[in-house]
Amino acid sequence: MTERPGSVVIDVAVEPESIDLVQNAFETWWTSLGDDSLETRFSFETAIVEIAANVVEHSRRSDADHGRRFTLELSATDDRLTAVFHDNGMPSEIDLSAVSMADLEDEDGRGLALALLSLESLDYEHVDGKNVWTLVCRR
Amino acid sequence: MLSIRVDSLEYNRVTLTPQGRLTLLTAPQLREEIVARLAAGDRLIVVDLSGTTFVDSSGLGALVSCLKSARQAGGDLRLVAPTEQVSMVLRLTNLDRILKPRASVAAALDD
Repeated sequence: MTERPGSVVIDVAVEPESIDLVQNAFETWWTSLGDDSLETRFSFETAIVEIAANVVEHSRRSDADHGRRFTLELSATDDRLTAVFHDNGMPSEIDLSAVSMADLEDEDGRGLALALLSLESLDYEHVDGKNVWTLVCRR
Repeated sequence: MLSIRVDSLEYNRVTLTPQGRLTLLTAPQLREEIVARLAAGDRLIVVDLSGTTFVDSSGLGALVSCLKSARQAGGDLRLVAPTEQVSMVLRLTNLDRILKPRASVAAALDD
């Protein structure tokens, strides 16, 4: 983990256990910001966990390479919080404009919809062989 | 990680109290515990969320799955005292319509 004021970067394996590491890093970073808005915190944290889980699940479904890793950079300005994920997994074919909330009795299909509802913006692109997710939350 | 306290009650009722984060990593643990309780004959499953600090979509999926299993077995699953983040995701996903939280374990048992 590397740090500069208001910013943190973690680099972890693409595996379910990393979800906890992401949340631990988020908690430390959030505390360092001194922001006491629980609504902002929970919205941003929820979206970050959903995208981290999406990276892990996408790799589990599409990729036999067990050496994958992802990075998460968290940064803050006076009015925005930003999280950027990079991973070297297979490209995703996701169309975020087509995402909608699952029906009540469905057991999955809520993750990206929840992330979209929790953020000001969510973008995905495949750049230089990497999947890049950019999450922005207003504070 | 998640720890789950299990309190068996009379009349085929049980209270489960997960402590920690209910996510992709830990949701299978809660699902397995509830499936085991249903297999053992419990019919009213009360999930006390007062110590559950965070739930993601995998955790929500586990709760929906277990609600359906409980109802198929002729029982029910009821949530109690969700924390602020958990209330938020229940509301955003509209799941508070089918998993309407009760204020206390006593209220969930008496309902």
